[in-house]
Amino acid sequence: MSKKTLSIIVLLIIALIISLIIIDFIGKSSDKRGENPYDLDVDQYKLVDSSLIRYRETKNFPLGDRLPGAIDVYNGLIYLGVEDALLIITPEGLQKKSIPLTGKPESIRVTASNIIIAYKNEINVFDSSGKLLSSWKVDNERTIITSVAVKDSLLFVADAGNRRVLRYTLDGKLLGEFTGKRESTAGHGFIVPSANFDLVVNKFGELWVVNPGEHSIENYSDEGELRGFWTKNSMEIDGFSGCCNPAELAVMDDGSFITSEKALVRIKVYDPSGRLLSVVAPPEKFLDQGHAPEVAADSTGVIYALDFDRKMIRVFEKTDDPQKN
Amino acid sequence: MEKDKSIKRREFIHTGLRLALGFSLAGVAVAAGRKSTAEKWVWQIDPAKCTQCGRCATECVKSPSAVKCIHAYDLCGYCDLCGGYFKPGVKQLETGAENQLCPTAAIQRKYIEEPYFEYVINEDLCIGCAKCVKGCSSFGNGSLHLQIRHDRCDNCNECSIARSCPSDAIKRVPASQPYLIKGEFIKPLKG
Repeated sequence: MSKKTLSIIVLLIIALIISLIIIDFIGKSSDKRGENPYDLDVDQYKLVDSSLIRYRETKNFPLGDRLPGAIDVYNGLIYLGVEDALLIITPEGLQKKSIPLTGKPESIRVTASNIIIAYKNEINVFDSSGKLLSSWKVDNERTIITSVAVKDSLLFVADAGNRRVLRYTLDGKLLGEFTGKRESTAGHGFIVPSANFDLVVNKFGELWVVNPGEHSIENYSDEGELRGFWTKNSMEIDGFSGCCNPAELAVMDDGSFITSEKALVRIKVYDPSGRLLSVVAPPEKFLDQGHAPEVAADSTGVIYALDFDRKMIRVFEKTDDPQKN
Repeated sequence: MEKDKSIKRREFIHTGLRLALGFSLAGVAVAAGRKSTAEKWVWQIDPAKCTQCGRCATECVKSPSAVKCIHAYDLCGYCDLCGGYFKPGVKQLETGAENQLCPTAAIQRKYIEEPYFEYVINEDLCIGCAKCVKGCSSFGNGSLHLQIRHDRCDNCNECSIARSCPSDAIKRVPASQPYLIKGEFIKPLKG
């Protein structure tokens, strides 16, 4: 074999080896793989019939570096709790006032005469000017306060860590508690698999508590006696799915409920009996596997969502044309 | 004169060889010493970056994969309706294979008290496909997550799954802290 032939053979072998290495590298690059044989198709549950979406996002207020904690809307003003302050903001997004806080609140409720701020295991009651009137701790190491609601002089506190609702006066006197358990077999009491346990008092003075493990919204007397409930356990758009939904709840002046769900994040409106009225924001509006936005509504029905993942207040208004969302 | 020169050249070569051998041994000894004292690194999955693509099951050189599902019990809601255990939309919350999300039935559902259940991973059956992780993250608290188990991993120089991971979730971590576990406690890990 001549020297020239040998050289050609060696060069061909080297070229072949380099080609194999390149083909192997390209073939195994992350974007050249086939379909996942173990895929769980979650996207199918994110699809929402556009005719059901009767709200559109009209504006939003990015919070920058501020850490969102809680939101409420009262008398046309937005009350936003961040890491160290309560910001009072106009619907146009202008900050009107700031009240210093000792930490990031878990829940805010504003009434005609009071602002109630709840931390993980502490309640602060301010007057409307921001003067602290009373403050107390819930003395239990498992306590995780997730929501508060006011009815006249009563304060209801949702304690997710102990799966109970506490009832206080506004100056901190404990009047009682209940866990939703009852003698009948209808229900297990509150099932709270995560720190998502919300409650509201509507304009008619009715206390409604989310039972997230049951996917139900339950109406209780002030003393904790179950008076009624509705349940929507379904993967369909009119139901709730997952471990603990609805994660957040708000109520409109007509008694309709605004629900916000975690994981498969979406916001919907139900009538007081549990019939789906509208989708406010479908999952495509939020990050995958995100946190449930906290929701609030003003007297005109405008819905404010505190998006924890995108760190912004998002404003949704009703539209007559479902296609223009 | 010629003989003397020859002897000197031979001595020079012998001396050179002895020195080369000596330096080599010393080099090996130093390298071994440094290796024994330097930090060792291992591969691990960052759960915050994992997108449950399924490649941990198909790309690992081990069969079944050295990637296993880990359960962060302090994050778990012990739900009756577990998004990591049941297929979405099942009619009955029963343990029949047709209801289970896991393709190898590697998750055991244990009754605790009404209505709470504990979910335990059988690592011998788990293939690291992340189907349960996606279900748990999509519908639950995200307590199920993947980790490379170091009693099974060969710690290859070039990790096959790290190379094919679409989200760069697999990285080198110190062997002294070999796991990137969610939450604060899990069942004790071997390896």
